[in-house]
Amino acid sequence: MNNLTKMTRIEIVVSAREAPAIRDLITSAGATGYTAVSGVSGIGHHGQHSGALLFNEYDTLTMLITVLPPDKAGDLIDAVREMLHSSSGVMFVADTYVSRPEYFR
Amino acid sequence: MSLLLRVAVASAAHDIVPSWPLDSFIAVNPLAGSESRPFESAQSLGPLTRDRAAYMTDRKAGRILLADLEAAVRLRSPELTGTVTVGDTILPAARLAALELELDQSPDTGAIFSTPAMTRLDEITSRWVAAYLTPDPLWRMPHRDRGFYAAWRTLARHDSSLPLRARRRIRGLPGDADAGLAWALVQLGVAAGDTQRVMALELHQLPGWASHIKWRAEKVGDIDLTSFLAVRFGIRHALQLPPEHTGSIPRQHDPAAELRGRAEALASLLAGDNVTPDDTASVARVLAAHPTRDHLFTWQRAYELNYRSRLLASLATGNAPAQPPEIQVVMCIDPRSEGARRHLETAPAIETFGFAGFFGVPIRFVRHSGRGAINSLPALLAPRHTVTEAPRDHATATRRVTAARRRDAVDRALHAGESGTTTSFAFAETAGWFYGLTSVLRTFAPGLLARIREERLAGRALESSVTVSDAFTLEERAVLAEASLRMMGMARFGRLVVLAGHGSDSRNNLYQSSLDCGACGGNPGAANARAAAVIFNDPSVRDLLEARGISIPNDTVFVAAEHNTVTDAITLLDSHSLPASHRWLADEFTLQQATAADRLVRERARDLPGASPRHSVTRLRRRAHDWAEVYPELGLAGNAAMIIGPRSLTRGVDLSRRVFLHSYQPGFDPDGTGLETILTAPVVVAQWINHQYYFSSISPDLHGAGTKTVHNAIGTIGVLTGQGGDLRRGLPWQSVGVGDSLLHEPLRLAVIVQAPLETIGQIISRNQVLRDLFDNEWITITARDHPTDPWKHYTRYGWHTAPLPSAEGAQQ
Repeated sequence: MNNLTKMTRIEIVVSAREAPAIRDLITSAGATGYTAVSGVSGIGHHGQHSGALLFNEYDTLTMLITVLPPDKAGDLIDAVREMLHSSSGVMFVADTYVSRPEYFR
Repeated sequence: MSLLLRVAVASAAHDIVPSWPLDSFIAVNPLAGSESRPFESAQSLGPLTRDRAAYMTDRKAGRILLADLEAAVRLRSPELTGTVTVGDTILPAARLAALELELDQSPDTGAIFSTPAMTRLDEITSRWVAAYLTPDPLWRMPHRDRGFYAAWRTLARHDSSLPLRARRRIRGLPGDADAGLAWALVQLGVAAGDTQRVMALELHQLPGWASHIKWRAEKVGDIDLTSFLAVRFGIRHALQLPPEHTGSIPRQHDPAAELRGRAEALASLLAGDNVTPDDTASVARVLAAHPTRDHLFTWQRAYELNYRSRLLASLATGNAPAQPPEIQVVMCIDPRSEGARRHLETAPAIETFGFAGFFGVPIRFVRHSGRGAINSLPALLAPRHTVTEAPRDHATATRRVTAARRRDAVDRALHAGESGTTTSFAFAETAGWFYGLTSVLRTFAPGLLARIREERLAGRALESSVTVSDAFTLEERAVLAEASLRMMGMARFGRLVVLAGHGSDSRNNLYQSSLDCGACGGNPGAANARAAAVIFNDPSVRDLLEARGISIPNDTVFVAAEHNTVTDAITLLDSHSLPASHRWLADEFTLQQATAADRLVRERARDLPGASPRHSVTRLRRRAHDWAEVYPELGLAGNAAMIIGPRSLTRGVDLSRRVFLHSYQPGFDPDGTGLETILTAPVVVAQWINHQYYFSSISPDLHGAGTKTVHNAIGTIGVLTGQGGDLRRGLPWQSVGVGDSLLHEPLRLAVIVQAPLETIGQIISRNQVLRDLFDNEWITITARDHPTDPWKHYTRYGWHTAPLPSAEGAQQ
């Protein structure tokens, strides 16, 4: 596809309190980076979540997005799934394509 | 290395709550990891209530009434409606269950839980962690730059206190922490499915270090819980100490027999010798709905209901004065401000407001003469805006900073001399006399020494300003200013508005930071007050506020101040920036606050150990300078409630410095955004403080730091009791008790709001943190729309009329 390289994109939405542990897993899995979006809002299994709060970043939701080669993604997916057994949150996994694969290896 | 092991470490540490270092002491709920579950489910982490004897004492003293117990039973067991007949007596079912509480003799949770005992393994682990983390550059641990596990592994193999075979086993450990932990777990025979549970037990064996390392992993990054556990299990492997698979021993328990015994005892009490099997059966049906495991929680609820009922009954329904007074004072929501506000308002020219002590300006602050920067903002926020202090006289400031650096160099040299293994004795011989002289002055004339210091500093004070416009854009400043005004409902302005942050002043006090402003990250609030005053005085900000419907008159001037919570003096800051037209108002304020401060110091002396209202205010204030004083002030001891509403609710009411006061006017916040910010930030911080005091009182050895008279500091990281063991968490005993008695009443925070119930309900329903806190009964919320409405109590099923102890015949 237009000289693009297939990668795996993993999005994880967790409470900001749990985000450090997930960030640790992402970097330990060999991902070269991630994007964090704090104060995400929505409705889920535990009900409604307001977005960013003016004076509290600690009790909001954070979305962490990482892209990594498929051969590295499996371990991270297993680890995050296990993590979500003991804390609330969701994970979305999808194929994605990147133009500069060396950035993600 | 398997990522799953990292997951196991993170899951094992789920209930470990990060603990801040001493120099930026942040109050936390030590059981915050359990807030997503009902309050009562956290019993495995320590006692959650006082023991029965304490409640019984309060019952006898009238602090808990039978009516409170009955109301608490109704809340806990709503099915207990109607009446029950026992012999010739007909009484409400809830009262029957309440009467049983006074007879109950079953064991309580406080007696079941025991603090973990220190083992040799704990001592060894603590020693290595302390050695690694100590910030003293003279005692820097070799190989520290390689990380905790690698440094330990390199040094421990030469530790002669360990047997030779143990050292040999350490040599055989893998080189990195993750592999070392995995390897040690296998060697110790820990099954893969048991890893998380076993690691959680290890972390809870040294909860102080685990809590601090969890904080440090995120904020500093030189150690994490994986390396901590790798060392811990490495030592276990070296000493051949496999973890014990301890589990709770189930108590022999026959619920039917227990219920029968309870029913017979209560029926006999009520019906005497005429008790019939039917009476016993009737009583048993009621008591079955209120099992003994609930009893202590019902006692606690009754204890809290009693306070809340008295508080609600004491609130006023008056209106604010029609005209704004000349002087308005905005103080922190901290309960200590309540006393200052009450005494200030005896002057008719003064009106007060309550707002979080960082005044809505979250900053990282750099003093022109300070070392490093302070994060002067709530712990709920990350620092993003750096404000610096700019002296007006640059040449003098530069000269003084140069001189201060020289003094620092001398201090470091002296410290090296007194700390060196070979120089310390020679140092004491040669320089000891000088220190001895200072010590004599500190001991016998602390007031004199303080006056000398103050006079020296007063002569050297430099006029300066804070550089707010570099840190915030104009739009950001306007947004913060509007948010603050709408949150506190400040719709009209006097000619002088004093923004008074607060700080504490004491000597030789490792917990000084715990007495400073919690909303300012455990720092004094002067920097934030100064920054906020600059923002509110900025004509460009006022123009933007005008466009948003808030008009600050041209002749209104904001000025910063700081409330010293030991002396209760409120000192104006940056008064050089006041226009001449307002100086008389500043003088008037200074005069009024001096009188108010004297009255408040005497009032506080009633509760302060070792003090008396008969003492002179000079003597009472000398506590700030006495290096032997363990009670310079009582901090937030007694905190029990938070009131969010107009000052007319509380003006003139003596709340005994027990209540967080946040000003709020629903009419000035039509979409409820301000209220949402109050509930999700100041209430959360107040809850952290409240639970820190609560659990430090309930279990001073487990969740509190114990007596500070035997504390030893590890730099600014924390304290140990004596010379080893776990890092202490929470507040020292001197913050919550004296002798064997509590100074603090452990009550879960009662939040009281005057605002539309529908808005409050919507805010709670869209914020997980509030659902957790209120639905799971970590704190409570009571509200009413208007002053004439009855108070309603929030439950997860909706609003109910607040239970007030009004049952006839149950007031005794």
